[in-house]
Amino acid sequence: MMLPALAVLAAISILPFLYIIWMSLNDVTLLGGSGLSSRWVGLGNWAGMFTDPNVWAGWVRMVIYFVATVGLQVILGVAIALLVHEVVWGKNLALSLILIPMFIAPVIVGLLGRFLINPTYGLYSWILEETGIFTGNILGEDVPAFVAVVLMDVWEWTPLITLITLAGLVSVQQQVLEAAKVDGAGYWRRLWHIVLPSISGIVLVALLVRSMDALRYFDIVWQVTGGGPANATKIIPMGLYEVAFRFLQLGYAATIGLVMLAISILIANLFTRMLKQRGLAG
Amino acid sequence: MNRSAGSLGRWIVLYGLLLLVLLWTLVPVFWMVLSSFKSLADVLSTTPVIAFEPTLGNYVSLDAGGNSLLSYFRNSMLAAGISTIIATTLGIFAGYGLARVNFRGKRHLAFWIISTRMAPIAAVILPLYVGFTFLHLINTIWGLIIAYLTFNLPFAIWIMHAFFADLPKAMEEAAMVDGASKFQTFWRVALPLTAPGIVTTAILCLVFSWNDYVFAATFSGPGSQTLPVAASALITQTGIDWGQLTAIGTVVALPMIVVGLAVRRYLVKGLTLGAVTGE
Repeated sequence: MMLPALAVLAAISILPFLYIIWMSLNDVTLLGGSGLSSRWVGLGNWAGMFTDPNVWAGWVRMVIYFVATVGLQVILGVAIALLVHEVVWGKNLALSLILIPMFIAPVIVGLLGRFLINPTYGLYSWILEETGIFTGNILGEDVPAFVAVVLMDVWEWTPLITLITLAGLVSVQQQVLEAAKVDGAGYWRRLWHIVLPSISGIVLVALLVRSMDALRYFDIVWQVTGGGPANATKIIPMGLYEVAFRFLQLGYAATIGLVMLAISILIANLFTRMLKQRGLAG
Repeated sequence: MNRSAGSLGRWIVLYGLLLLVLLWTLVPVFWMVLSSFKSLADVLSTTPVIAFEPTLGNYVSLDAGGNSLLSYFRNSMLAAGISTIIATTLGIFAGYGLARVNFRGKRHLAFWIISTRMAPIAAVILPLYVGFTFLHLINTIWGLIIAYLTFNLPFAIWIMHAFFADLPKAMEEAAMVDGASKFQTFWRVALPLTAPGIVTTAILCLVFSWNDYVFAATFSGPGSQTLPVAASALITQTGIDWGQLTAIGTVVALPMIVVGLAVRRYLVKGLTLGAVTGE
């Protein structure tokens, strides 16, 4: 029963995996049309990568981008889940509405974000100007552009954390909460000593799921800034894509890609270990 | 402070905060849909226009001139739909096997499957690009279908495994005692019981592939352009028609919001890869 699926999966995952390793040991270049030339360079790409300031800068931006997006998503996502959990009237409708952003294609989120912060016609840039918070071209300056792409990602994926956290909140033991209430513990004390400890496992699941996807997608950055202005938003996948399809150095890009792959495998490993702890190992 | 004043205050704070969250979430979506029905003059107004004469002009122009909304829609539907059907079908069988058969190395197999699902798209795209070039799959729907299988197939196997693992074994054992074959047990007992799981798997596969931009932008050409690629192609050197852009954005987003919310009960399980069971 499992053979057809595993055979197909092997063909589309193991073959490309072996090939990307081979690519990283060669100088693979795209020629005009559909031609391809390759020359064995051994560990040349690897040696080059470790001393390439652009690659290091890309990873530094990736770490900042990761901490900012996933960090804000976890904080806001848990806060919104706690809020929705307290709501009685209209809870179902509110949750459905809150989830909407995560079904929208990231590239559309990027385009919509560009529309909203367009300096001439944008609704949000108009609000920022009228209130005097920010005037000027958001995507034209380093820090505002970085903040903009971070907030777009936060807008799209915070609902995922909210959804997962809510599933955890439902399972917090009511008797314990009631007992604490009777003993005179206020909302914040109950939150800190009972609720947060009992949902921490599920929030960790949400964090890991989001972490794996944070490394996978770069649609928003690609669409909104393309890595600019002056490389300010060029996170590592964006840099890799540019090396491969703009500078046409596929072998070197493969080397950067393998490092990304190694990190995602590391996170996947943490994830399966956690599944096992929760008694859900595959 | 007496009790009722306290709970009124609490009510105001609660719904006030909820209103803020809803504004943050919905204003962009609302503005996109609203702008898609505006005339160009209203879209390009330097102060936001709320009252306006609605027009379908932006949607009409998406299927006129150099644009062909219907063929973008067809390409998206075919690429996402076929990859979803293949992934879900194969995933059902493999997921059942993984949930019900014990064998050596199962843990390693499971780890391989989940690592494949999580591989960064920027890395996967490189060997696929070279492979597709040799196999003449660039600018074809089949190229996109294969690209989408790289994430949909491991996802479907893994998540169907989680749904089957949740079924109580007793029902299947009872069927076996009654003389049903292994296949009959699977087909008549296990499969109908996981119907919601199968629908959820299929819908999530559809959403992931329908929403893809990076693969489609790299592998598709004039003959296989999908909606997200067409949307981004509306941005040209000479300028951006925001009216058309919000219209195509609405066409991309609405169907996925509808099907996604239809399986809301099972989303938690699907999106946490089975680690958390929802409501």
